[in-house]
Amino acid sequence: MKTIMKVAVAATAALMIVATAAQADILENIKKSGKVRIAVAMGSPEYSYVDGDLKATGSDVETARLIAKDLGVKLELIEITNAARVPTVQTGKADLLVSALGITDERKKAIDYSVPYATLSLIVAAPKTVEIKNYADLAGKRIGVTRATTNDMDITQNAPGAQIVRFEDDATLITAAVSGQVDIISSQSAVLGGLNKKRTSNPLELKFTQKETNLGIALPKGEKPLQDWLNNWVKTNFANGTLRAVFKEFHNRDLPDDLTSR
Amino acid sequence: MNYQFDFEALLPYWQSFLQGAITTIQMTIVAVAIGLVIGVLCAIARRSAYPWLRFLVGIYIETVRNTPFIVQIFFIFFGLSSMGLTMPVFFASVFAMVINVGAYTAEIVRAGMEAVHPSQIEAAEALGLSRFQIYRDIILMPSIERVYPALTSQFILMMLSTSITSQISAEELTGVANNIQSYTFRSFETYIVIAVIYLMITYLLRFGFYAIALAIFPRRRKLGTPL
Repeated sequence: MKTIMKVAVAATAALMIVATAAQADILENIKKSGKVRIAVAMGSPEYSYVDGDLKATGSDVETARLIAKDLGVKLELIEITNAARVPTVQTGKADLLVSALGITDERKKAIDYSVPYATLSLIVAAPKTVEIKNYADLAGKRIGVTRATTNDMDITQNAPGAQIVRFEDDATLITAAVSGQVDIISSQSAVLGGLNKKRTSNPLELKFTQKETNLGIALPKGEKPLQDWLNNWVKTNFANGTLRAVFKEFHNRDLPDDLTSR
Repeated sequence: MNYQFDFEALLPYWQSFLQGAITTIQMTIVAVAIGLVIGVLCAIARRSAYPWLRFLVGIYIETVRNTPFIVQIFFIFFGLSSMGLTMPVFFASVFAMVINVGAYTAEIVRAGMEAVHPSQIEAAEALGLSRFQIYRDIILMPSIERVYPALTSQFILMMLSTSITSQISAEELTGVANNIQSYTFRSFETYIVIAVIYLMITYLLRFGFYAIALAIFPRRRKLGTPL
């Protein structure tokens, strides 16, 4: 036991030294090292996925590429899981995170955000035969969500009677719906099209929209220079149409005009 | 040092941690109990006189031992479900674990059987023991006793592998921890807590296996020495 404790203490101390080192001005570090580490949770349809040639793409991935280009440095894409999104930023394992992360007050306690750069529409979908009009109708039903997403939190809060089944990422949730493990899901509107292409019998249809969430670029707390740079970058590229074009290319819908001032 | 530990934020979730730990233990016990039986049967089949039986069991053991556990879980949970065979997540997880632990157990037990000296079997035959008695008393029990430490560590490995089933939405300890860290943003503390819980479960299981060994192997109880 004694040795185990000693090792544990040493490991903890080592982690803390790393954490301290990561606290320097990130924006300066990025420029000095010539690369920016941007984390993305892959497997979210239209936001971040791999295309037919196994190349990472999607509106978030392209946004990350634009950020790296305008910073004038190389992009290091860090692929993570959904549940790892906030911890990755919190612990400085990435400089930034562009990964369909909804801006919530709870998350703001742990990380900082840029102004909104895109939106995400949270929906509940189920087969035609299932009667669902609101949260109350979910009581007693099995509903699949992706762990640690705003969907997860929203359903947990508003449908306490529902039996929530949590999957690790959107891709696993979609596989579960395609293979018939779950019939009711709460996800983002973008997944439905691709899902129904694979789930040919008994397709899922939109039952109700939970809400429209603003997405922000996440960064570690207290990095004022980086946050200022990002806010400025989002506003500029939203105004000149670059960000709106990227979003429209993948999602086929327009972003609201007042987005960056929300 | 900038990191402020805050274990208090996790206090409201102690029941979830406990429930997750209980699920982990339940999955392990059920899977190990059934897996042990399957493993012993497969070990016997691998020494069978019928080549086709040796061949079939060989395919099963080699397939399982040479593919990752997560692939086996996905195959059972999503693959079989696509073919219309849907099962609850607890059942699917335990099913995958049984298949996995059964194959490893088979090889460990077979190694123990190979170590039984042929002259012992000849002696038993000369004494007029039946085939069943020979298999039970001369081959099986001593070989299990001999490989017992290896079996124990394989079963504990299986307990730790239950964490992988969180991928298919099983609410065991790791799944619960992933939920809690996403509510509290206290990931470091959450994983420290479950690491400690896993350690405690490991010692609990070790003690359990030790007690079982005392109960079923009289030599250990009486002489205090392993085989």
